[in-house]
Amino acid sequence: MTYILRTVQLTKTYDGHEVVSNINVNVKEKEIYGFLGPNGAGKTTIMKMITNLIKPTSGEVELFGHKLTNDSYEVLRNIGSIIEYPIFYDGLSAYENLDLHCEYMGHSDKRSIDEALELVNLQHTNKKAVKDFSLGMKQRLGIARAILTKPKILILDEPINGLDPVGIKEMRDLFKKLRDEYNMTLFISSHILGEIEQVADTIGVILNGRLIEEVSLEAIKASNPMNNSLEDYFINLIQGGKRYA
Amino acid sequence: MLKLMRLEIRKNKLGSSLKAVIIANLGIIGFLTLIYFAERSEGAAAFATYESAFTIIDVFVRATFMIFASVWIAKLIIDEYKNRTISLMFMYPINRKKILGSKLAVVFLYTFLSVLLSNVFIIIVLYVLDQVFDIVPEPLMLSAAIRNMGEVFISALSTAGMGLIPLFFGMWKKSVPATIVSAILLNTIVTSNWGEGTSLYNLVAIPIGLAVIGVLIAYLTIRNVHVKDI
Repeated sequence: MTYILRTVQLTKTYDGHEVVSNINVNVKEKEIYGFLGPNGAGKTTIMKMITNLIKPTSGEVELFGHKLTNDSYEVLRNIGSIIEYPIFYDGLSAYENLDLHCEYMGHSDKRSIDEALELVNLQHTNKKAVKDFSLGMKQRLGIARAILTKPKILILDEPINGLDPVGIKEMRDLFKKLRDEYNMTLFISSHILGEIEQVADTIGVILNGRLIEEVSLEAIKASNPMNNSLEDYFINLIQGGKRYA
Repeated sequence: MLKLMRLEIRKNKLGSSLKAVIIANLGIIGFLTLIYFAERSEGAAAFATYESAFTIIDVFVRATFMIFASVWIAKLIIDEYKNRTISLMFMYPINRKKILGSKLAVVFLYTFLSVLLSNVFIIIVLYVLDQVFDIVPEPLMLSAAIRNMGEVFISALSTAGMGLIPLFFGMWKKSVPATIVSAILLNTIVTSNWGEGTSLYNLVAIPIGLAVIGVLIAYLTIRNVHVKDI
């Protein structure tokens, strides 16, 4: 089994307080990995360490089989991401933002800009500055930017925040399409269980900076023939079974 | 590196800032005109010699573009940290040192060229006006003009270096006001006149020393950027 992304005993400490503790995440190629946890569990911190924005206190990140170091940057060519919330040069239009992204990524195929805008239904924003976009539109544009250069792995932090139900459905379909047609691997975080349940192949559950479960969705279904809802399964897990004991 | 600099210019629409430079130049000319008439009403000549005119022009130009430099530092660097767009930049497959280096190079070159060209431009305006209105009592000697060009070059270089000092305060506080206020204070200290036209700037070691400090600050800012958390 080839893992495209692994973390080994990944730990981050701020002022003596451990925010992320010994996380071992294993993401297979061409799967959608749902990273599930309540707000403040450490999801964003981990994603920032994976993209080298934050340096681990101990442990390491392995991308495409190579260890990430302080000096790594070439590896970022194969990663598309939205971390925390989508950030843009908000005085510029959607097209200008994506155009800059192409330039910095060294991606010369400008047609992909229109394609990406179309994939997320933003083809008609023309000259409108991004600062006038709604949160949902920014989220879509963030996804467009992340997939623009067809990276091997997408790291998306709460990508459905701010989307309406139709938008959520579109994104869900888009994620599956990216996996199936573009052979991408997706690492998606969310605090919304129902959402992860519908797209993920593997789920990692994080609570208070610790990974308390990493399991494939199939395995959950197999071990749960009574077909309790997945929600019960996870609430049970997170609360240590107290509530349903 | 050149490509990164070009992208910075495009991203921040630096091209349209040329207008601001021109307006600043006209402002300086306006001020000089004011000085000229104020002195004349008291029966004195504001620009007794071309040499004194060159000095006054250079003081105004340096002071103006020191502030400009701090505004560009604020826009190109401090704002990126404040708006978090720097995390976007640092997720590109580009060495972080190069990213910051190209931004600082843009600021440095921009300041250098502004000081150089503004000096030349205003001197030409003065020369033309002098032909018509006889502003400076003595004629302009070619040798004086050439010597002054050398001084303007040094002045542009030292201002471009000094212009980087506000980076320290800006990065320390991650604040745009801190960046610009520090430039204004620095300006006040360096260019204020002690009478008889002397200021700290006239002690050759001061502008050169400060320019070296500015470049050092830029170097220190870039040096550790790859190990810092964003």
